[in-house]
Amino acid sequence: MARPKTVRAPTAASLPSNLRIPSTTPSLVKSFGKLTRQALLDLVFYWLDDRNVQSFEPYLERDEAEGADDEELGPYPAERTIDDVRNAYQELQVRKGGKREVIDRILEGDWRHGITLRQLAMVDLRYMDDHPSSLRWTALELTRIDADGAQLAETDVSSYIPRIHASTFLSNIQQQISPLVKAHYYLARSNTLPLTFLRIFVTNSPYQHPRQPPETLTDASRVIHVAFPDSCPFVYTSIASSTGSKASVNAVATDARSLQRIVRDAVPKALSLPQRRYALKATSLTAKNLQALLALRGPGRSNGANGAFSIFADAVVEGSPLDPRPAYTVSPEELLNQARPGNNKNQTTEDQTESETHGSGKKTRNSEDIHIPKKRKLAIYSRFGTSGHLSSAPLDRLDVRLLDRPDGDEHDEDSDTDQTQPSLSLTFAGSDVISGIRRLAELGVVDPEKMPSWMTGEEAVSVAVVHRGQRVIKDSG
Amino acid sequence: MDTTEPPKNMEEELDSEIASIRGEIRKLQRKRRFLAASLLSSDNFHKRLQEHQSARPSSSLEAEVSPLVRAAGKHAQVNHHRVAFSATTFPFRDPSPNSENPNLLGVRIDICASNGRFTKPYYVLLQRVRGEEKRLRVHRHTIPAFISVEKLERAFLPLPAVSEEEAGENLKPWKGNANRQDLPRFVRELRRQLAVWHLRMDAVNFLRGKLGVQRRNVQSYNDGDDGVWVRDILSDNQEEIRLDANDLGIVSLSPTALDATYVRLEWEDGRVGRIKMSDNGVVERAVVIGDDGRDKSLEAVLTGGNGRVETVLDRLKQHLVPQE
Repeated sequence: MARPKTVRAPTAASLPSNLRIPSTTPSLVKSFGKLTRQALLDLVFYWLDDRNVQSFEPYLERDEAEGADDEELGPYPAERTIDDVRNAYQELQVRKGGKREVIDRILEGDWRHGITLRQLAMVDLRYMDDHPSSLRWTALELTRIDADGAQLAETDVSSYIPRIHASTFLSNIQQQISPLVKAHYYLARSNTLPLTFLRIFVTNSPYQHPRQPPETLTDASRVIHVAFPDSCPFVYTSIASSTGSKASVNAVATDARSLQRIVRDAVPKALSLPQRRYALKATSLTAKNLQALLALRGPGRSNGANGAFSIFADAVVEGSPLDPRPAYTVSPEELLNQARPGNNKNQTTEDQTESETHGSGKKTRNSEDIHIPKKRKLAIYSRFGTSGHLSSAPLDRLDVRLLDRPDGDEHDEDSDTDQTQPSLSLTFAGSDVISGIRRLAELGVVDPEKMPSWMTGEEAVSVAVVHRGQRVIKDSG
Repeated sequence: MDTTEPPKNMEEELDSEIASIRGEIRKLQRKRRFLAASLLSSDNFHKRLQEHQSARPSSSLEAEVSPLVRAAGKHAQVNHHRVAFSATTFPFRDPSPNSENPNLLGVRIDICASNGRFTKPYYVLLQRVRGEEKRLRVHRHTIPAFISVEKLERAFLPLPAVSEEEAGENLKPWKGNANRQDLPRFVRELRRQLAVWHLRMDAVNFLRGKLGVQRRNVQSYNDGDDGVWVRDILSDNQEEIRLDANDLGIVSLSPTALDATYVRLEWEDGRVGRIKMSDNGVVERAVVIGDDGRDKSLEAVLTGGNGRVETVLDRLKQHLVPQE
C-alpha cells in the first residue's frame, strides 16, 4: 500500500477486491464467527493455495521488517514463509478445538494487516453455502422487451435465457451502478446448488479508498445478493434485512431499500444486449429456502406442476412404457426411486413408508367399508399429490388475501362497491407451510376435499390474492 | 452396565437382522410382482390361455385369472401406444373444488434416450377456456423452463382475446387462420423440442463416452486429487465428472447449460472452444481460442466434414495425425 494518501479523487471504478478492512474491526470477529471451524480452515487453505496466495497474501516476517515500528509482540509471531503459515493451519486442522483460536489466528496473526473485501465476501458466501436458508430470496422472471412490441416469428421457442459471461456482465453492471453507488462485486459458484451467486457490497462514498469507519465495510445491510440459477429465465435477489442502517439519514440513495432497487434495476440492463433487452418481472414468490425457489422457479420439471399436479412433476403416476406392471400396482415411492437409481441413502425409510401406504391402498380397493381416515388419506393424496410428502419445496411464509365476502353471500353486481369490499388476509408461517397444511388435513382440521387449491401449494407462490378459491392475477404482476 | 450391555447389543443385532430380512422380502415381492406382470402381459401367455379356454370353455381358473389378464392386456396395449406414438392423451380431473372446468386433457410425451430407456414422461394438462368451449389453454405442465411453453402456446393455441385484437389490426388474408388453435401442431412442436434436447444430451454423453469418463459423487471429495472435475449438469444426482487422459488432449467437454445447445471444450494446452449444436445434430458454429488468438484451422475441423456432432472426435484425430 504505497499509495500517497493525499490524493483522493472520486472515481467511478468499483471498490477493489484487495481493499483491506483493518483486522481490529470488532464486527469482523462476528462475521468470521458465523462459520464453523472446519469451514474457516477450508477457506484459509483455499487462500493459501499456490494458485490463490497472490490475492490473499498473509503477513510474513519480511512485512514486519518493512514496517519496523511495531514494538509490542502479538500472540502470533509472523511466520517466515507461506509454507510455515500453511503448516500452522495444518496443525490446527489436526488438533481439536474451538473456532475462536482459528479466528484469532487469522485476525491477529496471519492477516493482521487486514482482511480484504474479497476474503470477507468469501466468508459470507461460504456461510450461505452452509446455511442455505439464511436469507430471504425473491424470485424474479427475466422477460424480453421487444422494441416495437411486434411479435417476432415464433421459430425460436427456447426461453429467454441470457448467457452470462462473468466479466462482461460485471463490467456492464458496474457501468449501470457506478454513477449512483460505489460497490464491490464478488461472483461465485455455489458448492451445493446449481446457482451462481453475485454478492454486491455498496457504499455511499465516491472514493476508491473510502475514509469511513471500517464498520460500514462489514455492514450486512449494505450487501445485496443476486443468484442466477442455471438454465432458466429467473433471477433471485435477497432482500436486505431491514435493520435500519445509519446511512439512511445521510442521503436518499444510500438506504438499503433504494440501493437494492438500483441494483435490481441494473441487473436486467446488464444482461441485455443490443437488440435483445430484458426486464425483470415479479413472480410473487419469496422464500428463505433456495431449494424451494429452485423447485418452483428453477430449471426442473416442477415449475408448472405443484400441489395436486406434483404427481406429474415427479412422474409417479405411471411407469415407463416398457414397464409391464399396471400403474396401480406400483407405489409412487417405487417409481420415484426407479427414476433416481443413485439414491440409496433414504432407501430404508422410503421402504417403510411404502409398505404402509401400499398396504392401505390395497385395503381401500378391496374392502367397501371405508374408514374415514382412509378416505381422507385418498383425498389428501389426490389434493396434495407428492408435495409435502415425497418432494417438498418448503415455503416459510404464505400470504393470502381473500376477496370473498365473509358471509358467503355472493352477488355479481357488487362490483361497483369495490372500495368497501371486505378482504381477509391470512399469513401462514413456519418451516414448511405446505406440508404443515397437509399435516392439518391428515389430522382432520382441514377438509381435504373442500379446501381451495392454493392451500396445496398448487399455485407455487408465496403471495396470492384469492377470489372464490382461485388466484387473481393482477396485471401489474 | 455390564449386565445390560450384551442384551442391548443382541437386541440391536436382531433388529438390524429383522430389518434386513424385511428389506429382502420387499425386494423379492417387488420382483415377483414384476415377473407376474411381465408374464401376464406376454403374448405367449395370452395365446396359451386362449387355447386353454377354447378347450375348456368354463373353468374356475378363468374367473380368477381373466380380470388380471384383461388388465394386463390393456396395460400392454397402452404401453404399445406410448412406445409407438410417443405422444398420448389421457383424461384427468382437477381435484380443486373451485375449478370451473375440472375436466382436463392430459398429454403425455415419452422420449426414448440413447440407452434404450425412456425418460420420465413429460406432461401437459390442458383446460378448456371459460366461455369458449372449443378453446384450450395450458393449465399445468412439467416441461423444463428453457423450453418456453408460453411461446408455443401463443403460437399454436392463441386465445380469442389476443386474436381479436390482431384481427382488428391486420386484416390480412394469409393470416386468416392465425387465431385457430392447432393442438396437434402444438404437441408435435413440443415433442420435437424435447426430443432434440434429449438427442443433444445423448450426443454430449456419446462424445464423453468415446473419450472415456470417470464419475464420482460430489460428497466423495478428497484433497490431493489432480485433474479437472466438472459438475455434470446433465445428471440428476449431483455428480462430478472427469475425462480420461486422451490423445486428443481434451480435458473437459461439457454443455454450457442444461439445454445443451452449446458445448464447451477445453484442451490441455489451455485452448478453449465452444461449439453450437443444431437441432439436427450438426456442428453449426465453432470457436476455438488459444493463448495466441483464434485457432481457425481447428474451428474448420470442428465444423468441417459432414459436420455431424458424432464424428467430431474422428475429425479431430485426423487433424492431429498429419501434424505429428
